[in-house]
Amino acid sequence: MRLADLIGGAVVLLLGLAVIYFSSQLEYHSEFGPGPGFLPLWVGISITVFATVLIFNIVRKHEKVGAFLKPRTREGFKLLLIIIATFLLLPLLGFSIGFGLFAGGTMRIMGRHGWIVCVLTAIGIAIGIRYVFGYWLGIPLPTGVVGW
Amino acid sequence: MDLLQNLYMGFSVSLTPINILYCLAGCFFGQIVGVLPGIGAPTAVALLLPLTFSINPTSAIIMFAGIYYGVAYGGTITSVLINVPGESSTVMTCLDGYQMALKGRAGAALSVAVIGSWIAGTISVAILMCFAPALARFALRFGPAEFFGLAFMSFGLLTVFGAEEPIKTIISTLIGLLIATIGLDVVSGMPRFAFGIPQLLGGFDFIVIICGIFGLAEVFNSIEEPEEGQLLKEKMRLRDLFLTKAEWIASRWAIIRGGIIGFLTGIIPAGGITTASFLAYLAEKRFSKHPERFGTGAIEGVASPEAANNAASISGFAPLLALGIPGSPTTAVMLAGFMMWGIRPGPLLFQTKPDLVWGLISSKFIGNLILLLMNIFLIPLFVMILRVPYTILMCFIVIFAAVGAYTVNNNFFDVWMMLGFGVLGYVMKKLKYPIVPLVLALVLGNLAENSIRQALTISGGSYAIFFTRPISALFIISGILAYLTPVIRWGVKGLQRPKVDIASKPGYKP
Repeated sequence: MRLADLIGGAVVLLLGLAVIYFSSQLEYHSEFGPGPGFLPLWVGISITVFATVLIFNIVRKHEKVGAFLKPRTREGFKLLLIIIATFLLLPLLGFSIGFGLFAGGTMRIMGRHGWIVCVLTAIGIAIGIRYVFGYWLGIPLPTGVVGW
Repeated sequence: MDLLQNLYMGFSVSLTPINILYCLAGCFFGQIVGVLPGIGAPTAVALLLPLTFSINPTSAIIMFAGIYYGVAYGGTITSVLINVPGESSTVMTCLDGYQMALKGRAGAALSVAVIGSWIAGTISVAILMCFAPALARFALRFGPAEFFGLAFMSFGLLTVFGAEEPIKTIISTLIGLLIATIGLDVVSGMPRFAFGIPQLLGGFDFIVIICGIFGLAEVFNSIEEPEEGQLLKEKMRLRDLFLTKAEWIASRWAIIRGGIIGFLTGIIPAGGITTASFLAYLAEKRFSKHPERFGTGAIEGVASPEAANNAASISGFAPLLALGIPGSPTTAVMLAGFMMWGIRPGPLLFQTKPDLVWGLISSKFIGNLILLLMNIFLIPLFVMILRVPYTILMCFIVIFAAVGAYTVNNNFFDVWMMLGFGVLGYVMKKLKYPIVPLVLALVLGNLAENSIRQALTISGGSYAIFFTRPISALFIISGILAYLTPVIRWGVKGLQRPKVDIASKPGYKP
């Protein structure tokens, strides 16, 4: 965790430096007062200063804290991959079918539910999205190649 | 007299069948959200917000308010019955509530929580009715310097109430401010941090961010660290819900004290309902004649924090409505809702939209009554909801978050951004960077930037404007003191540390 914390601090520090760099390209003063670069520059400077203090604190203290990766982190990563796959397929399948498959698949892969339950959930979710969002709430969602 | 007229107008709005229905739906949904671990009030409001585009704003805000205080009621059930807080605001209830349940007094613990919440909630609405308009009238004197001071103080208070690591709280606030600056600058029209991506010119939509950072991130965190508890097998009968005379005597003043602490904490920007319940519990324990009973099933330990969290969930609307400053993550999400409906909360809201303001305030009387009845008669139903597998709930959260993000601009870019913010929220929580400061800074970022720029333009670039105007100076100095609190705490701790007697150490040679 200490290493993860250090990496986190370093990322924040880099972010601060990047913000200083990009905001220094914006006008600090404008005709009437502070310009568009005024606040971002100060935010960047502050992020850099506090990130430095944070890294210094992490290095100085030798506290033992919990691990960054936990036994179930793999499950979270699995879900992330399922979500990415679903989002990639959404333009092709549309929201109803795409999320129906997502729900059924997730319940099968992550919840270890039986096939019948998963298929029924997938169908139920697909119909639910179509009718609740599409008709009842009037939200136009993409329909995909199947047209549903 | 004005107050009664306004209240009459409010009830004429909130007592329409459609608004009663929305209030009922909000309370019911809030209660369910409170019962389910892994989903909180800001997440629920964030996920539902995009679905209310076509609903009347007054009805929608009445529903969201119902969710907010409904969550505070719902979280109690899991705290008492399975020792797992459904909501962070009911963490303190676990300490004595679960102990009471183990002693066979689960019904009494739930009852005192409901009655306490109802009494404190009703008192809180009554005070809010008098306080909020007065605050709005006072805020009419505010100029850009005062608004910047207020935002500055709110950010500072986050470090006081915030977390164990103040530096991470400040960094989180700064990242929120940074995200708020992305897009076209409203004054000069220049793009900032857009890097030639057209979708970024308008900046990140708040709904996209909160759907990711609250909704999706919460799913990832809950999968990794599921909150599991053993539901007590014991059956609860109606008569178990009645308090004994001794229990009522022990809890009545705790309810009042908790309500007052809750109200005062709720009106402070960044105070929030979790802090309110925490402070109320500590105060009750400190002033009790038998503090040793706390943690072993003392009914005051349930009554006080429960009264406090409900009172705070209501008084939190005072800074939102009167100043346009959200006091908690949920009210921050609601502020985004106001903006989505084209309404700007602030001092003028009481004059421009009295029907909305008073309709909302009066709906809280109705909502509290609905929740009281709901909790007396529907507890078995809410206990049943606890048995819903998390995989199903998780799928619904992901779907709602994706649909919510998509509906903002009808494009997939926002859906991917929502996923990105979900991962960011997950990593931040793992590394103990608090999310709430980021969200509050994001909401207040534009107000803070526009105010400081206007103030410095008025003063010709002189920063003295923030100190020569008394209200602004008060806010700025309070903010500075708040930022310095961790340093002061650190110093005090250093002074209190017992001095090591070197002479007594083995091997010491004078």
